[in-house]
Amino acid sequence: MDGMFYSTQNVWTWWIALYLFLGGLGGAVVVVTCLTDIYIKKHKQLVIWGNISALIMLSVGSLMLFLHLLDPWAVIHVLNPMVLINKPDAWISWGTQFIIWMIVWSMVYTLPYLLESAFWKKMPLVGSILGAFTWLGNLSEKFHKTIGWLAIINAAGTVAYTGLLLQSFPAVALWHNPGVPLLFMVSAFSTAMAFLLLVLYLAINDKEDATLRVFYERTDVILIAVELLIIFVFFHFTTYGLESARYTAGILWNDMGWIVGFLAFGLIVPFLIEFRGVTKGWNSPVPIVLAAIMVLSGGYLLRHYFMYAGVYERPYPAMNSIMQHSQSEHTPTVSARQGY
Amino acid sequence: MANKHYAMVIDLNTCVGCNACMAACAIENQTPVWDNKWRTYVHDIEIGNTDELVRRRFFPRLCNHCDNPPCQSVCPTGATHKLDNGIVLVDDEMCMGCRACALACPYDARYDVTSHDVEEGKKFFGELTHRSRPSVDKCSFCAHRVMQGQKPACVETCVGSARMFGDLNDPKDEVSKLVASGVAKPLMAHLGTRPNVYYISDIERST
Repeated sequence: MDGMFYSTQNVWTWWIALYLFLGGLGGAVVVVTCLTDIYIKKHKQLVIWGNISALIMLSVGSLMLFLHLLDPWAVIHVLNPMVLINKPDAWISWGTQFIIWMIVWSMVYTLPYLLESAFWKKMPLVGSILGAFTWLGNLSEKFHKTIGWLAIINAAGTVAYTGLLLQSFPAVALWHNPGVPLLFMVSAFSTAMAFLLLVLYLAINDKEDATLRVFYERTDVILIAVELLIIFVFFHFTTYGLESARYTAGILWNDMGWIVGFLAFGLIVPFLIEFRGVTKGWNSPVPIVLAAIMVLSGGYLLRHYFMYAGVYERPYPAMNSIMQHSQSEHTPTVSARQGY
Repeated sequence: MANKHYAMVIDLNTCVGCNACMAACAIENQTPVWDNKWRTYVHDIEIGNTDELVRRRFFPRLCNHCDNPPCQSVCPTGATHKLDNGIVLVDDEMCMGCRACALACPYDARYDVTSHDVEEGKKFFGELTHRSRPSVDKCSFCAHRVMQGQKPACVETCVGSARMFGDLNDPKDEVSKLVASGVAKPLMAHLGTRPNVYYISDIERST
């Protein structure tokens, strides 16, 4: 058919971007804290801070999704683990189960540390709940490594799911390509490093963690470098590719939020700060803390712009995906038309 | 006996843009017309951008009932499902309204039926209302009519006979012949959706 129309969508907007960001971040935080605790350094405080934060992130993210369901009661169908047998082709099915079991196993993994902590045991309500689960804490201690790996596998699944979900929508060139899961995974682990650096510098602040902090900084520098490389590949893919991808390029490269907010302050500036940190070092933790905050902001912006810049190509103007959904206040909608 | 494989052919040459299909579908399937939501919609599009030659095209659209429906594969609850006869349906009881199907559909065929729409529907359609839960709705090829040997409401009412409905597994069926001849073509087949709504172009015929 001659004459095509190009448009973005209003169906999934900032609230899904936040869900994808918190899901990726929370999952990667669990992976990093558990691997650190099992293989690098036994670290009670890091596990408590990391896994409790991940619980909060996943709860807030999932709540964002839940609140926007048209029929929240029907969510029971995906909470049932049998969904993996009934609907193994749907990434939301896998994602829901990954999130649930990641939370369960990461909390069981954290339980022995919480039971050792006077702060948590003295906390009203929480303390009495912890007391009731002492038996589980003892069991967890006995099989700590196995439980840690169960948490890691499900958390890694959660991280992968955020990108695979977006990849499963075939009509949008920006989303339906193997680069998206890769980019989202690298970004998730980069933001997790940034978050845990904030925890190590601001919350735990232990001199004995100096080596661990340097390791996290080095890892983050590598991850940001890989992310920049993937972004360059996306630049090439969208600029010289399909027509809908070129519309995406038009949206992104004309938006200061993407160029300055994400690329400059979300990737390049923190990369330079952390690179100097690992090569020459800083006299103060302030630059690394600032870099970590920028990486976290960049992590959200990446997903925000990916949601808004996905362009559909159709032989008629968009109607349902633009007019019928009103979650967003403003959307940089492209409604252009290309005649042949 | 082989299963039926239902498909629709839309001849853009004979669509006069009367919108009777929209009205028939809206009443038959109780779509939330008060909120401008339709299972099928007829676009009024200008083709060409020169002063000398501009054409007006009426472009009816609906769910394409794909053989490889992305809305079905992304649906986490199984609410969107495909029958053996090729019709893709939505089970309102199972749909949680995550709208993944709306993002996956290349044809923009999915729309929200909210709790508000369900309540409005009760007032609008009275005791005849059949919708009790919100869902992300779409065209069903009027499966309830087709099962009784009738045509979809939009086909039945089309004054220009622009919409034809038939069985691709029956080589004698008019729809089957049009598709086999190559005159009727699907939309965006390169996406791998294998759609079952075919269009006969008006431009090719008039130039």
